[in-house]
Amino acid sequence: MIGFGRKLLLGAALLGMAGGFAPRQAQAAPPDILIGAVYPLSGNAAPIGHDAQQALETEAAIINGHHDVPMLLGKGGGLPGLGGAHVKLIFADSQNNPQIAQSEAQRLITQDHVVAIIGSYTSATAVTISQICNRYRVPYISAENSAPSLSKQGLTWFFRPSPTDNDFTKAMFDFYAAIGKKTGRPVHSVAIIHENSVFGTDSARIQTAMAKAAGIKVLTDISYQASTPSLSVEAERLRAANADVVMPSSYTSDAILMVHAMHDAGYTPKAIMAQDAGFIDPAFIKAVGPLAEGVMSRSSFSIDAVKTRPAIPAVDALFKAHDNGKELNDLTAREVTALQVLADALNRAKSTKNTALRAALRTTDIPGAETIMPWVGIKFDKTGQNIEGNPVILQYQHGQWRTVFPFAVATAPAIWNVGK
Amino acid sequence: MTASLVAQVAIGGLLMGLVYALVAAGLSLIFGLMDVVNFAHGELLMLAMYAVFEIHAAFGLDPLLQLPLVAALLFGIGVAIYRLLIARALGVRFNTGMVQIFVTFGLSIFLVGAAQLAFGSDFRSIDNGVLSGRTVHLGQIVLPLPQVAAGLVCLLAFAALMAISRTEFGQALEATREDRDAVALIGIDRDRIFSLGWGIGAATVGIAGVMLANFYYISPTVGSNFALIAYVTVALGGFGSLAGALVAGLLIGLVEALTALFIDPSLKQVGVFAIYVAVLMFRPRGLFGRL
Amino acid sequence: MATSPRPNAITRRRTRELVVGAALLVVLALLPLPIAGTYLRGLMVLTLLYAGLAQGWNILGGYCGQISLGHALYFGIGAYTSTLLYTRLGIPPTLGLFAGAALGALAALAVGWPCFRLSGHYYAIATLVVGLMVLLLVQNWGFVNAAMGITIPFRTESWVQLQFRVAVLPFYYVMLGYAAIAWIVAWVVEGSRWGYIWRAVKDDVAAARSLAVRVFPSKMAAAAISGAIVGAGGALYAQYVGFIDPDSVLGLSLSVLIALPAVVGGVGTLWGPLLGAAVLIPVQQLSVAWLGSSGNGVDLMIYGALIMGLALARPQGLVSLFGVRSQAGGEVVDDA
Repeated sequence: MIGFGRKLLLGAALLGMAGGFAPRQAQAAPPDILIGAVYPLSGNAAPIGHDAQQALETEAAIINGHHDVPMLLGKGGGLPGLGGAHVKLIFADSQNNPQIAQSEAQRLITQDHVVAIIGSYTSATAVTISQICNRYRVPYISAENSAPSLSKQGLTWFFRPSPTDNDFTKAMFDFYAAIGKKTGRPVHSVAIIHENSVFGTDSARIQTAMAKAAGIKVLTDISYQASTPSLSVEAERLRAANADVVMPSSYTSDAILMVHAMHDAGYTPKAIMAQDAGFIDPAFIKAVGPLAEGVMSRSSFSIDAVKTRPAIPAVDALFKAHDNGKELNDLTAREVTALQVLADALNRAKSTKNTALRAALRTTDIPGAETIMPWVGIKFDKTGQNIEGNPVILQYQHGQWRTVFPFAVATAPAIWNVGK
Repeated sequence: MTASLVAQVAIGGLLMGLVYALVAAGLSLIFGLMDVVNFAHGELLMLAMYAVFEIHAAFGLDPLLQLPLVAALLFGIGVAIYRLLIARALGVRFNTGMVQIFVTFGLSIFLVGAAQLAFGSDFRSIDNGVLSGRTVHLGQIVLPLPQVAAGLVCLLAFAALMAISRTEFGQALEATREDRDAVALIGIDRDRIFSLGWGIGAATVGIAGVMLANFYYISPTVGSNFALIAYVTVALGGFGSLAGALVAGLLIGLVEALTALFIDPSLKQVGVFAIYVAVLMFRPRGLFGRL
Repeated sequence: MATSPRPNAITRRRTRELVVGAALLVVLALLPLPIAGTYLRGLMVLTLLYAGLAQGWNILGGYCGQISLGHALYFGIGAYTSTLLYTRLGIPPTLGLFAGAALGALAALAVGWPCFRLSGHYYAIATLVVGLMVLLLVQNWGFVNAAMGITIPFRTESWVQLQFRVAVLPFYYVMLGYAAIAWIVAWVVEGSRWGYIWRAVKDDVAAARSLAVRVFPSKMAAAAISGAIVGAGGALYAQYVGFIDPDSVLGLSLSVLIALPAVVGGVGTLWGPLLGAAVLIPVQQLSVAWLGSSGNGVDLMIYGALIMGLALARPQGLVSLFGVRSQAGGEVVDDA
């Protein structure tokens, strides 16, 4: 309850900062630019939605306030291209339901007249939101939806700064090849385990194909039902397969259960390479404690890349202040970046008109160093997919996430037990 | 696939089955007494798990030591739910069956929202209890201690429930179940029996919740993961039958584990449901249901 | 058609219902015109959809007294059938929805055949379990794209294909037509011989049997009609939302959502489902819109409290506010 009160206060403060309470005409300042954000704020995925809300508010505070963060639009004071106008976020709860996501996006567009929508964590909701945005000719910025199929819908108002599961999975197999060459202990076999909804199924499909291409054996491919009461049999099957690398695609709850179940089965995999999601959720680390040691995950963000990305500490500190001391992670960093990309386009468009905004988004060209991401940069292809977003591989070492691949940006050598 | 793997999986399944059985026992008890299916049963489990977590976080009291505390707390919640909602739902003149289904269903939505408001939506878990992370070795078979303890406690709870059903109160329960109106003539306060029944039913779930909190994560929606199995367990065993809940729980745990091992983990509930449907074909009121 | 102790009163009542229904249809047809807001119109589309679905559920759950918690199954079958026919074979959903309705009816017969032997809660739990079994199987069934679901791409503005770029009004009239047809079906069956049998079955199975009523076939008929209406609704939903996946069209919560308006409005009544949907759907959607963004669960608490409150305060349904009582009671209150 105390936390809730604090959030209310903070929300009120932010609203006040954005001029939300003052009648707009009475002020000399230009009107706020309204941006919609659709996330699951209730139900099983609510923790993720809640964090997304705080991440976006953090970036809005950076753009509107005066925090002087060393990155694009980090100076603050609103958007110079629009006379110092502030951005203001309007959130909607998708309840992780495609129909509700659609009607909420429709409400944001037609009632609140938002200039663009950011979303949405889960793929099913991203499908309906991106479709409705396309129909209303409003840009949809996909912050962290990673299903490759989303950019193949033929939508012309869809923009995704984040890499897709194709890129992510490729990074995993690139890493296997590189570490094999470096240590002389290559990966011969993997065991895939995934939850059976969109995210896990799609991810496993890509992993199987890429393993085949890389000549790596898939010893087992286990599909399990999300939010199941027990994963012990699944853990036993993993133990029986005893592959070089276990590759899970799981949401937080199942990730917690799975790691515990493997431990209970007396099974310590030689390596775990997670498809992000549950495994990088701070709640996962908190819940499994030392069992997370050595877990690897693909990511599009590395918190320790402070040398080349000087903005990270400042953004992280601000985010911590917003979100009860939580550290920025792969999801929240991408949400911060999504709003940054949108704000940059608005700033260059010098207009909130939809066609001008889309034209500006299409000519986006942000060098990686101007963001908090370890990417080369942000530049969209015809489908709205960023072609300069290169993923990294992280490993949880001694209580923190370290970047271990690509070697050029690594901050620590990988702890590699395969083949030992 | 070695014999020890199959044995390990089977025993693990049976241990989980004991937890299912205890969750189902509370449901079955309440149903047997007053024909009410509590669709907020999973949420009672969730409340118990949060109670364990909060008490553990605040006072460092180990989950095992909280057993009587949380059972008492849930007993109170059960009685309160009966007095505030169920007694009224039973008192309506129309559509009683439908009203009670949707009252408890509304309650389950309400409790999920309330938990989200009070505890936040993050996943929690208790990883430093005395049982946490320990295992028991039986030859080649390795069993996690929290699950073994949960199985034992559930068995004890069942024994206690059976003992209660032999006492005078148990006989009053039985009489009330047989003929709700006639018991008033022999001086049994029906309302009191019903609220005690709800209290005991909820306390039973409370015990299951404490043991689950030792090895399962906690979130506002965690109840639904177990509630569904509980309904199937009760229907399979026969509404109102304690022995039925125990046998059905064990059967479900076993079938679930073996389906996951031999067929496909994502179809393990399909295996359970298939058994259930098959049994209903021959025994429409479940294994132990009165025909 | 009607045979009853008071044929005249009943005929008069049924005629009046038809007149009220027609008047309401005209009002509803004009209602969205002054309401320009797309969101509000969308809300009305959903309300009408659920009014039709609940009307369908009501035929089995209300008139016939078989409380089904698995109607999402028929909804999902309708949605998948018409969507697959459209996206794979190019058959327009205006035809596909009939295929969806037919398969929905077949599925309801297939579920009803074994399950009608079960009584009370056993029946409710069995329908719930069968629904979930199908959900799990579809989640693993590659042919229908498993858990990934199917997107219906927007091709062209078309009434035949039920595709409209941004306009909500056409869908409003589609759903109004759907709800109206569901209402008319309910009106017809209520006055038919089947309607009387179902009420007899619900009131007292033994009595119905002794009257040599063939209980089982009449239940099967109720199931088929109910499944067909809900299946058609699923096809329309798929076209309206443009995306289906197992969770959203076959999930357990949907089964409850389909039944709730009828329960809250008044089970076994002609107006209950419509009234229940008119109250519940706006409350649910608006509480998401107004309170959901806080993410603190208050929207769920309000929704849950509303369901509890309505069920307890108006056990015979909201229709009782208008002096109509569930016809299950046999006595029909004539407020004229």
